Formats: sequence, structure tokens, C-alpha cells
Amino acid sequence: MDAKLNRRQFLRAMAVVGGSTLIVACGAQATSQPTAEPTAAAPAATEAPAATVAPTVVMEPTKTSVIDVTYWGSFSGGLGEAEKAMVDSFNASQNNVKVNYQFQGNYEETAQKLTAAIQAKQTPDISLLSDVWWFKFYVAGALQPVKDLMAAAKIDTTDYVDSLINEGTRKGDIHWTPFARSTPLFYYNKDMFAAAGLPDRGPKTWAEFAEWAPKLMKLPIMAQPTPDAAAKTPVPTVAPDTKLMAFAHPNSASYVAWLFQGVIWQHSGHYSDPDFTIRIQEENGVRAGKFYQDSVLKDKWAYNAKDIGADFLNGLTATTMASTGGLKGFEKNAKFKVGTAFLPEVDQFGCPTGGSGLAILAGLPAEKQQAAMQYIAYATSPEGTTTWSQATGYMPVRKSAVESDSMKKYFEASPNAKTAVDQLAKTQPQDAARVFIPGGDQIIGKGLERIMIGAEDVATVWGDIKTTLEETGAPVKEAMKAIEG
Amino acid sequence: MNRRQIPLLRESLTLVGFVILNIALICAFTFYPLIQGIQLSLYQWDFISPFKIFVGARNYVRMFSDRTFWQIMRNTFVFTFSTVSLTVLSAFGLALLLSLPLRGRELTRGVVFLPTLLSGAAIALVFNYILDDRYGMLTQFLHLFKIKSPSFYTDPFWAMVGIVVTMVWKQAGYGAVILIAGLQGIDHTLYEAAAIDGAGRRARLWYITIPSLAPMLLFVVVTGILGAFQSFDIIKVMTNGGPVNATNVLVYNLYERGFVNFEAGPAGVLTVVIFVIMLVLTILQLQVGARNNAV
Amino acid sequence: MPSNTAPRISLPQILAYIAMGIVVILVGLPLIWMLFASFKLTDEIYRMPGTFFPEHPTLINYPAAWNAVPFGRYFANSLITTFAATASKMSLAMLCAYALVYTKAPKWLKDGAFLLIVAALMVPGQVVIVPNYVTMSMLHWADSYQGIILPNAATAFGTFLLRQYCLGLPYEVVEAAEIDGASHWQRLWLVIMPMAQPALVTVGLFAVVSEWNDFLWPLIITNTNEMRTLPIGLYRLYQTEGLQSWGIIMAGTVFVVAPIVLLFVRSQKFIIEGIAAGAVRG
Repeated sequence: MDAKLNRRQFLRAMAVVGGSTLIVACGAQATSQPTAEPTAAAPAATEAPAATVAPTVVMEPTKTSVIDVTYWGSFSGGLGEAEKAMVDSFNASQNNVKVNYQFQGNYEETAQKLTAAIQAKQTPDISLLSDVWWFKFYVAGALQPVKDLMAAAKIDTTDYVDSLINEGTRKGDIHWTPFARSTPLFYYNKDMFAAAGLPDRGPKTWAEFAEWAPKLMKLPIMAQPTPDAAAKTPVPTVAPDTKLMAFAHPNSASYVAWLFQGVIWQHSGHYSDPDFTIRIQEENGVRAGKFYQDSVLKDKWAYNAKDIGADFLNGLTATTMASTGGLKGFEKNAKFKVGTAFLPEVDQFGCPTGGSGLAILAGLPAEKQQAAMQYIAYATSPEGTTTWSQATGYMPVRKSAVESDSMKKYFEASPNAKTAVDQLAKTQPQDAARVFIPGGDQIIGKGLERIMIGAEDVATVWGDIKTTLEETGAPVKEAMKAIEG
Repeated sequence: MNRRQIPLLRESLTLVGFVILNIALICAFTFYPLIQGIQLSLYQWDFISPFKIFVGARNYVRMFSDRTFWQIMRNTFVFTFSTVSLTVLSAFGLALLLSLPLRGRELTRGVVFLPTLLSGAAIALVFNYILDDRYGMLTQFLHLFKIKSPSFYTDPFWAMVGIVVTMVWKQAGYGAVILIAGLQGIDHTLYEAAAIDGAGRRARLWYITIPSLAPMLLFVVVTGILGAFQSFDIIKVMTNGGPVNATNVLVYNLYERGFVNFEAGPAGVLTVVIFVIMLVLTILQLQVGARNNAV
Repeated sequence: MPSNTAPRISLPQILAYIAMGIVVILVGLPLIWMLFASFKLTDEIYRMPGTFFPEHPTLINYPAAWNAVPFGRYFANSLITTFAATASKMSLAMLCAYALVYTKAPKWLKDGAFLLIVAALMVPGQVVIVPNYVTMSMLHWADSYQGIILPNAATAFGTFLLRQYCLGLPYEVVEAAEIDGASHWQRLWLVIMPMAQPALVTVGLFAVVSEWNDFLWPLIITNTNEMRTLPIGLYRLYQTEGLQSWGIIMAGTVFVVAPIVLLFVRSQKFIIEGIAAGAVRG
């Protein structure tokens, strides 16, 4: 996985102590030779070059040539622990690169800090960037193209899931490597579905769900059985007069515009064309917006939740749409059985990809670039992505990982994770209006708040949003032309 | 040099020496950024792109023809006005109450003053929890009377109420302490004379207390306006300007345009708008203050 | 009614005491609620109808909060930055105010300097954040103590307040000291500072409170846990724990609020009198 140069570099400082050769686990052949837990000494890693370049001076692994790599990320809580474990195992796996993971807040805040840092010319080496932010940094020329680095690190780029790697590829080079990629999933409370006499599956269409909703909402909210009867007595968690809701929408800050993107596609609409022509205000967009509005204001089976995750876990809503990245958290914390399904359809199926990827910042010295790539290679290796995916619920980003025995076994044990991966095959890349126009996600999200909370006329709101998106998008379009021709 | 110039020069040097560090820091971290912000209002830029395009007044034209901007202006006015008027009213009431010869009033003054000193972020978290419409204190309390708590999160009106209440809770004690000091400074013979003239309680309040307190009231109003106008952390933690921009005020919007959306131009325009408003407020304050002193 | 047995307590007085009680409850309740919630288990928090007093008081939220994010470090950072910025603000403001009032420099020079101070009062803190971040980073001071402190090392408001206060002091005292041959330093230290103490306390208190509670600037300028201050740490805790763990978040809030409360309880009289005197005279 690491570059030739890289290996030589660290071999120089590599110590051979007591005959046991400690060489980085992610050796060049790691792609073909899975090393599930790189922290364990990897015997296979002693390969020819290591022997030939055996250090002339035998000494303790010195810190002299350790390259520090600063990595800004957005994961906290359970995800943060998984991320830290990834970084720790990388640091333990080799001696020449030390990654410092620094939590910067959510995706938006990380992008904010990075913008400020770029302006001040004091950037981290690697940054996690979400689907809606990386492009802005690419257009600004702030991201390092990594194709050559990957080639030097002997990464088989064709092994990345095509739709995911293609998103970060511009003008034939890779700028954004898929890492914590996700899709929306339809989550449902299996216990409630059973209590309401519904089949143990997600609705095929939203129309079907609308029929199910009243049955769900008739359930007393306290009826959720506590799965572990041996544990504490069931605790009533809400006001008795609180009504169970069938579905929960997030707010704009929790990316309602990401989820709605699937819904507008299901209505045969689009936020925009790839050339930034805005289409949200067209008939299908209005239809989709009306559907969301009615779900809250007319049919009243859905509501706007402060925290969809908390409400779903607390049994206040029977279903919700959320990222696959939330899967492990739900499964771990729910007192009921969590079910997952494909997103419901309308005219057709529609589901976007999402989540975040890793980028190396432009302008680093060669050795830093290689060191940074070494980490990215590790984190997105088939083993890395397998570990990460199983710990969090994010998608495995490597084809070989999806097909690996480890993943297959995992899918058997965790059918919910399989739903997510199966659905991945049917996803589409996102609309330019959301991911390429800076702030596009929030612009659309606030529009949805106006529709669902403010009860404003859908066509009017989308008309306003179209104007805003066009104004905001114009400079990006120009800049893109200047860069990509 | 003659004898008069030497001390003058020395005095000038002393002045410069004494003020230079203070002024230099203020220039470097207040005026220089302000000028930069004003400059940015004429450009279209995303803070990092190499393409920084001069667009003249376009950012201004767009901003002033944007419906959302006027909503934000209105929010700012509503928020500032309700916060300040409620703060002044409660501070005045508190001051009158806590000037009475009551046992434990010192302690009460302390309790009332305390919130002023606390972290806005911490207070916002506490109120977030209190106003939580599912598990919060208010919900629990209203539940005793079978009343459903309004949603301070999804209802635009109540979201504004939530941040105003939090601000008033935090600021009222400060005003009260100032006004108590003011009340203590009022010449008691005025009241005695008024009592002899047969002035009632209300008359004494209107014709003695309030006029005597005017400078202090003005001070409370002005610091209240400045505090409300610039409040950021409470809004950031409690509502993030939502729902549907209902609690988005100028300063929060500046943060949002500048730091969240990275629109240097609009952020520059907001910088200018905020600065002009502050300028007007300050001039008004100075004029009112001058008139008050003259009287 | 007890008016017969206790003739010294009149009805208005009773009403006043009741009003005072209501005031104490209204103001104190949020803080009590915070404190009590920090002693509650999650089950008790998410219960309806809930409890006010913790049913089974527990301390587990405190170590949980303390360990979730490095509060010890945040605490030290807040102390260091608050102390440094406050000391700097107080001394610079005092020096500047003294010079503006008591030196015999030409009027235009003094007025010019004063005008700059007054103008700075009109610039809201949020306006200057971005350029300041750039300045600090160019000096390679992002994520450092200098970076947090320096933009807050001077106070236009404090300078203004002190100058106004000094103008109200009897000028003859300084003149007498001058005639006695005291230098500007001596006049400042021995004459003005003791007299200006109430205003200085106000400036210092404002400085402590604004530094300790500052939110936006440290949020932007710090990148690592080694440098974050308490309010930012609390916000991170909130982000980490989400809406699910009010007990832990309230325990974290107690960490942030408690030092100021203790400081206040210890010096309440002093602080309140200082604030009042500073404002009334200023």
C-alpha cells in the first residue's frame, strides 16, 4: 500500500530488534493479502526489499524520521471512537508516520475551519470533507490530486466502488477518496410494526406507507416492549398525551435536503442538471415538496424532529430516514428490534449516495503527501474499510471488501447492513445544486423548513430557492470553467 | 526650544508611551479587520478561491432586495426590542423591590445578579433542556395542569420567545444592580418634600424616581441594546437561527454568511450594515446622554 | 392574620417578601434544575411525569462528563487565557485612561486617541473574527495561547469607562501630587489607582466574565483539545453526547458554571458594589 519511496524512507529508520522485523502491516501486497488486524505483527510483511535494504545501523526505532500527519475530522461519540481506533491501529502498525486525529466539529464546522486554515496557509495534511464541501475546496485548488500518489502506493483504484470513486474524480484525477460513505436508509421499529399488524418489511411505496401510518399511530406510545425483561422495569419515556408518529423528518442542519433528494428523484424530478440548470421549481419538484408538506401538515403522519435519532430510539416515531452511518448506533442503543429497508418509491426508486471522504491538502512537501497517502491507503484498504464499516454502518468502499468473507459473514449476522450495501448498487450520484453549489444543501434545507414548518406555498418557495441557487452557483460555474475548461 | 515646549514634548511622549500598546492592539484587532470587511463587501469571493472578483455595489443591491435580509432585520429588531424592554422593566421592578428594607435582600441581589456572569453557551444548554418540549422542566410543570408545552424548537414564534426569555433571565440582574445603586443615590429630602406636598406613591415614582434614575436607565438600555444586538452564543447553541430563519439576527447571519457559507461579499455587506447601526446607536446615545447631563 | 401578633410586619411587607421569594425561585430555578439533573440517571431524566429532586442521587454523570472530553485541560486553558487577558486589559486600560486624562499633551493628540477608543466601541466582536484569524495564523499563532489572548488583550470599553471615571475624580489631588514632585508613574500608582478602584474592579470583572465565557473566538482559533477552553469544551461535549444524555451535559455545564459561582459567592459584595459604582459614576 505504501509507496516505494515511502518504504525505503522508513526502512532507513526501521529497526530490527532481536531479529523480529517490524514492518508496516500495509505492505505493498496488502490489497491482495488481507491483514485483518494490522496491529498484530504481520509476518508477511518482510519481503525482499526489506531484506536488501536491511539497515546498517541496528538501533531502537528512533523518532527522528517520524513524519507527523495532522488529520482533521468530524466524527464524535461512537463514530469518533471508531475513527480513533482506526488512527491508533495505523500508528501502531508502522513507525514512520504518526497521524494526529483532531476533531473539528460537524461537517460544516470542519469545512469552516479548513477554509480559515487555507486562507491562513496553515492547513492540516488530511481533512475529512463531506459530499457537499469537498468540491468547493477542489475548485479553489486546495486539494491535492492523488492519482500518482495512489499509483506509487500501489493502490488498485479500480477496486474502489465505481460510483463512489467517480464522485471524487475530476478531470481524470482523484481529489476526494471515499471513506465514510453512506446512503439514506429507511429505518423502522420492528416491534411497532408487529404490534400494528404490519409485515416485517419496509413499505414498497410512500402510498403504501401512508396506508400503514394510521395503524402505527394508533399504537399507544408506551407499548414498546422492553426486549430484555431481565433488565430494569420498562421506563415510560414520554408524556402520556404524546402521540406516536409514523415518520420523522430532520431539520436543515441535519441534512433534510440530502434525504429529500431521494424523494424528489422518486417523483421523477431533480434539484438540478449537472450543468447547474436548476430544476427544483419544476412540476415534479413541486409535487415532491407538496408530498413532504402534506406528510406534516395535512396527513399529519410525519413531524419535524429536533433529533430524529433520539426520537426513533425513544420510540416516539415508528420510522425515519437516516444515514447508514447511524446504523450501529441505532442497533446498539435501541430497546427494540431495528429494521432497515430500501427507500420507498413513488414513480420510481431514488436514492443518493452521501457521507464523506478524505482529501490531502495541496502544497504539502512530497514526504508529507506520501505519509498522508499512507494513512488514506490504510483507512480505505479492503481491511480498513471492512473494520470501519462493521464498526459504524458506513458502506465498505472497496469492491473486494464487499465480497470478502469477513463482510459476507457480517452480512449474515447483520442483515440490516446488507440492506444498505444492496441498496448502494441502486444509488445515483447527487445533484450539482446540492453538492457543487456552496451551501446548496442548506439553501434547499431551509426551503424545506419553510414548506413544512412555515406552511408556505411550495411553488413560491422553490421559485425563491431557484433564484438563490442560481445566484450562489454562478461564481462556482465560472470558476469551474476556468479550471476544467 | 523654549521652556514651554520641553514639558509639552515630554508630556506628549508620556501620552504616546502610555496609550501606544492599547491603541495598537485596538487598531490591529478591531479597525484593521473592520476595514478589510468593508472592502470585502465589494467583492465576490469564497475566502479561498484564487478568483476574487470585484463586483462593485452588486452585493449591496442583492442584499437589500433579498426578502430574507429584511426578515433578518425584522428579527433583529424584534429580538433586541423585546429583550431590552423586558430587561429594563424587570430590572426596574427588581430594583424597586430590592431597595425595600427587607431581610435577605442582599442575598437576593446576589442571586439575581449571578446569571449575568455565566457563560452564554452554558446558559443556552440549560435553557435548551428546560424548554425541551418532551422532557424539559417546563413540559413537566405544565403537565401537572394537563397543558401541552409549546414547541420552542419547531414553532417560529416560540423559538423567538425562548431566546428572549433566556436573554432577559441572563441580563436583568445586571440592570437591577445598576438601578439599585441609582436609587440609593436619590436625595431623600426630595421624597420627604413631595410627601409634605401630598404627592402619592405613583406621583413620587413618576416625578422623582424615574427622572432621577434617567441616566442609569439610559445606561441599562444602552448596554442592553449592545448585549442583545451582539448576542451570538445563545442563538448559536439554542436555535442556530432557526426554525425557518425565525431567530436569525444580523450578527448570527454575519456568522452564517461568512463562516458557514463563506460568502465574503454578503458578509462584508452585513459588516457595514451592523457598523452603521452601531454608529447610529452610539451617536443617539451620546446626544441623549448630553441632553440628560445638561438637565 | 398575624398582624396582631407581629405588628411590625405589615401587609405590604408580606407581599414584598412573597415577591422576593418568587424572584429567587424564578432566577434560581434554572440553575437548581441544572444541578439536580446532573445528579439524575438517564432513566429518571426521560420519565414522564418526571421528578424535580433527584430520586436516587448519583454522581456518575460527573466522571462520565469529565472523561468524555478533557475537562481538566479545558479548565487550565480557561484559567490561563482569562488571567492573561484580564491582567492585560486592566493594565492597558488604566495606563491609557490615565494618560488621556492627566497628561498635558496637546488636545488634538488626546482627542484623537480618545476618538479611536470611542470608535472601537462601535465594532461588534463578530465582525472582526475572520481577518483576525488570518492575522493570527500568519503569525503561526492559531491554536496557541497567544492566539486566544491577543485579540482580547485590549478593551476599548474598559478604557472608556476608566477615562470617564477618572474625569469625575477630584483633579486637585493629582495636582497636589504633581507639585510634590511625583512622576506620572507615581501619580498613577499611588493616587489614581486607589481612587479608581471601583471602576477598575468593573473593568476587571467584565474582562474575567467575557474571557471565561468567550465562545466564538476560541471556537474558531483552537483546533485541538490541548487548546480548547471550557465553553468550547462544553459545546463539544454537547455535540458528542447529543440530546440523549442531559445528565452528562448538565454535569459538564456545572464544571463551566461552578468556578464563576464560587468566585461570585466569595466576593459578592465587592463585585456588586464595584459594578454599581463603576456604572453610576462612569
